[in-house]
Amino acid sequence: MVENLVRRYGALAAVDGVSFAVSPGTIFGLLGRNGAGKTTTLECCIGIGTPTSGTIRVLGLDPTRPRDLAALRPKIGVQLQATSLPEKAAVREVLELYAAYYGIPARAEEMAARVGLDDKLDRQIAQMSGGEQQRLALALALQHDPDVLFLDEPTAGMDAFGRRILWAEVERLRDRGKTIVLTTHYIEEAERLSDRVCIIQRGKIVAEASPAELVAEHGGDASVTIGANGFAPGASLERLGRWTKTGEQWKLATHGEPGLALAAVVTEANAIGAKITSLDLHRPTLEDAFVAITGETLGEHE
Amino acid sequence: MKLLRMFLVQTRMNFVWYFRRDGEMVFWTLAMPVFFLVLFSFAFSSGPNSGSSKFLVPGIIGAQVLSSGFWGVGVMLATFREKHLLRRVYVTPMPPWVFFASLIVYRMLLLAAQAVILVSVGALLFHVRIVGNPLEILAVLLLGTATFGSLGTIIGALARTTESANNVASILTVPLAFLSDAYIPIDRFPHAVSATLRLLPSTQFIETFRDVSVYGAPLAGYGVWLVALALWAVAGAAISARTFRWV
Repeated sequence: MVENLVRRYGALAAVDGVSFAVSPGTIFGLLGRNGAGKTTTLECCIGIGTPTSGTIRVLGLDPTRPRDLAALRPKIGVQLQATSLPEKAAVREVLELYAAYYGIPARAEEMAARVGLDDKLDRQIAQMSGGEQQRLALALALQHDPDVLFLDEPTAGMDAFGRRILWAEVERLRDRGKTIVLTTHYIEEAERLSDRVCIIQRGKIVAEASPAELVAEHGGDASVTIGANGFAPGASLERLGRWTKTGEQWKLATHGEPGLALAAVVTEANAIGAKITSLDLHRPTLEDAFVAITGETLGEHE
Repeated sequence: MKLLRMFLVQTRMNFVWYFRRDGEMVFWTLAMPVFFLVLFSFAFSSGPNSGSSKFLVPGIIGAQVLSSGFWGVGVMLATFREKHLLRRVYVTPMPPWVFFASLIVYRMLLLAAQAVILVSVGALLFHVRIVGNPLEILAVLLLGTATFGSLGTIIGALARTTESANNVASILTVPLAFLSDAYIPIDRFPHAVSATLRLLPSTQFIETFRDVSVYGAPLAGYGVWLVALALWAVAGAAISARTFRWV
């Protein structure tokens, strides 16, 4: 739980009055562009950053108090953004070292297998791809079976394979009752994983809800686009929503279920004998909602 | 038990990773002091057995203790911070002292290897004999390593970047090596100067170490200096405990 968190660097407020609560056993996504304040917020939750003001409780403990932080550390798992492992260390060695940090038996083989690195146990960090390093970082965050996981941009720079492994693992953990807080600037990741998404922009929370709620509320209309010779929407179709024509294409923007609208449009086109040349259905996504809410795109390819 | 295992695994990893990373550098760490010993022994004397080697063997070992603390501990910590290694271990339950102690113990073992090599070369080439009580010699070495390792952590605590830590370490190490009776006898300076230099912990450590090891002086005669060194060690640990930044 975070309440009214503020973190200033000089005059700049990196985090400016952020509040949210995470339900146990759920995945909570902090979504925003680079520099929006996601990482700073997360770092304050794990005791790396010191809030300028505000209150934080993780498992009832206050990470700004040394005593609480010491009690908290064994219960949380952390995956940080920047490469933070010794470059000449082998996968097995790092897992053994971190097992010693937590006072648990090393489970190097098992952990490596869980993140798809079982054939790379003796590989050194420096010889691994960024995605492989990220997966090892996840294994290190998980090995001591923490109650709460903090993942900072866990799939940044990962290939599709690594991303699938990580997503599956995160969902499996949630299904086992773990709580996961993750930051991401990938819409797809936030939409796929999060039970609740918090959109953060310039240090402030601008929206917080489940991905489905955000899309329903801010994603705008679904649409059906049809290209067909001699087609024009009749009276029955007019009722479905707002029609616009661009070139030979008719586009219907609708509040209703776009699948049913699509069926109606096709039925009508067939009834009047119009030959369909193209047909598209677009449901609003979290990306549409994000753009509507923030007035910005995420610029994933910057 | 948990802490002991943490400490042992961390120390073992320090060795494995450091040797793997710069095996070449470890070679030079071990070879350079020997090179200095041979070079200075011939440069400062007309030949073997003239006494300067007897001065240099403990002096060079002492200078290595200094640079081990300033570079091996201080600059290393700054590098770890810059590479974001520190913030990662900070979020684990490992107590900070385990991390620092394993780094200092690792440097102690490396220094032990350096000392053995220097003493052997000194004995073989220049007939330098270690005559002191081995336990007392070891005690002085351990105290010195702890003191300068502890002072090194201050560099690691206060330097913002690896580069600035490097600069601070060079500014300290090089002059101190020459002003602390390591390479050049400070008795060649006017009395007022040498007396002042004997207030430095580096001079106190190197002279104690030399007198005890190659001259066989009893350690009991150096009580004040030993207490002073221990106080520096405590002060260093206290300062860095207050000022150390993990991120």
